[in-house]
Amino acid sequence: MREKILYALGALAALLLARNIWVMLTGLPDEAFQGAIFRIIFFHVPAAFTCFLCFFVALVASISYLKSGKMQWDSLAVSATEAGLAFGAANLVSGMIWARIIWGIWWTWDWRLTSMLVCWLLYAGYLVLRRAVEEPAQRARLSAVLSILSFAVVPFVFFSIKWFRTQHPQPVLYGEGKMDAAYRAMLYLNWVPLLMLAAVLIAIRIGQENRRRELDALRREAHSI
Amino acid sequence: MGDAAARNFQFLAYGLIAVWAILAAYVLTLVSRERKIQREIESLKRILEDRGGR
Amino acid sequence: MLFLRQAWTVAQKDLRSEFRTKEALNASLSFALVILLLFSFAFDPTAEMTREISGGLLWLVFAFAGALLLNRSFARELENDCLDVLVVSPVPAAALFLGKALANYILLLGIEAVCLPVFGVFYNADWTRQPAWLAIVILLATWGITIIGTMFSALTVNLRLRELMLPMLVYPMLIPCLMAAMQLTTALMAGQAPSGDQLAWVRMLVGFDIIFTALSVALVETVLIG
Repeated sequence: MREKILYALGALAALLLARNIWVMLTGLPDEAFQGAIFRIIFFHVPAAFTCFLCFFVALVASISYLKSGKMQWDSLAVSATEAGLAFGAANLVSGMIWARIIWGIWWTWDWRLTSMLVCWLLYAGYLVLRRAVEEPAQRARLSAVLSILSFAVVPFVFFSIKWFRTQHPQPVLYGEGKMDAAYRAMLYLNWVPLLMLAAVLIAIRIGQENRRRELDALRREAHSI
Repeated sequence: MGDAAARNFQFLAYGLIAVWAILAAYVLTLVSRERKIQREIESLKRILEDRGGR
Repeated sequence: MLFLRQAWTVAQKDLRSEFRTKEALNASLSFALVILLLFSFAFDPTAEMTREISGGLLWLVFAFAGALLLNRSFARELENDCLDVLVVSPVPAAALFLGKALANYILLLGIEAVCLPVFGVFYNADWTRQPAWLAIVILLATWGITIIGTMFSALTVNLRLRELMLPMLVYPMLIPCLMAAMQLTTALMAGQAPSGDQLAWVRMLVGFDIIFTALSVALVETVLIG
C-alpha cells in the first residue's frame, strides 16, 4: 500500500513536471534581457527552497531523536539530509550553467553561491560523519548534534557572506526586482512537483534505512552464533 | 534564431538535463544500495537458517 | 558557583598537564610559524597587497594552529581511559566541556600572542595602531574558534579517522567567525576603528559566540554520555 502511494505520488510529480516544462517552453515569453536561459530559474530557485526545507526537516527530526530516542527520527534525519544535498547539487549546477551564459563565467564568489556551497559542504560533512561511526545509537546521537549545529550556523554563513560581497541578481520573489506574476506563478507551480519528488525520495530512503537496520540486527545475530 | 539565442537555448537544455541527471544519479545510487542491502539480508537469512536447522 | 569552580578545576588540570609536556603547544606553535613562512612564497610579502590581506592571513594561521591544538583536547584523554573517568566523575559534562574550552582558550591566546609580533615583523604589518579593538576582536573570534573546535573534538573523540574528519567538519562551521575576524583585523591594521558596517561584524562575532557556547553547553551531555 505504502509503495503504491509512493509510485502514484512520483507519477503525479512527473506528469506535473512534464506539463510545466511544456507550458514553460510554449506559453511563457522569453525574459527581456536574458532570453530563453532564464527558464532555468524555475528549477534553480525551487530546488534551493526544497534543499533548505529538507535541511529544516532534518533539524526537526534530529531534535525529535534527541528528545525521544526513537530510531525512526534518525532515519528521517539522514533521508532528508541526503535528499536536501541532491537538490542542493541540482541548484548549484543549474546556477552555474545559467551563470555561464549571463555572467560569462561558471563560478563567481558571490554571496549566494558561496553560502550555498558552504551549506552543501556542511551537510556533506554530516554524511561523512555518519560513515565513520559504527554503533547505531551513537551514530544517531552524534549526527543529530551535528545537524543541529549545522543548522545554527547557516544564518551566520548567509549574513556574513552577504555583507562580504554581492553580485547575484536580487531575490525575485520580494523586494525591488520582483518578477512578473505569470513567472512567479510558474515558479511556485514548479516547486510543487519538486516537493513531491523530495517526499518520495525521502520515503524511499527511510525504508532503506529501516532495512539497513534489519541487516545490522541480522549481522549481530549471525555473529552471536 | 540568432547565434546568441541558439546558444542561450542550448544552455537551457544543458541546465535542465543537468538538474535531472543529478536527481537521476541520486535515484540510481538509492536503487543500487537497495539491491546490495537486499542481497546481504537474504544471504544472512540463509546462513542463519542453515545454522538454526542444524 | 560550584559549576564554575568545577570548570576551573578541569581547566587547571588541562593547563597543568599541557605545560608539563608542552606537546600540543610546541607542535601548534611551530606549525603556525611554518604556515607564516609558507605564505611568503604565495605572494610578494613586501608589496602593498600585504596590508589588504593581512587580516585574512593572520586568521588562517590562527585557525590552522588552533585546529591542531583543539583536536587533541578530548583525544588526549583516551589514553588510560581518562575520558571515562572524567565522564563518571561528579563533574557535569557541561562543566567538563567548559573547563576544557577555557584551557584551550588560554593556550590558543598564548599562541596568538607569539604569532602576532612575528607576523608583524615578517610581513611588515603594523598591528599596534588600534590595540584595544584588536584585543577585543582577537578575544571574541578566538572564543568562537575554541568553542567550535572543542565541541567537535568531543563529537569525534571516539571515531576512527578522527584526524581526517575534524578539519572537514570544523572549517565550514568556522567560516562566519573567521570572516568577521578577517574583515575587522584588516581594517584595524590599516588603522581604522570599526564604525558603521564594521560594527555589524563585531555584533555578529558576539552573536556567534553566545549562540554556539549555549548550544555546545546544552548538547555536550548527549555527545559525551548519551
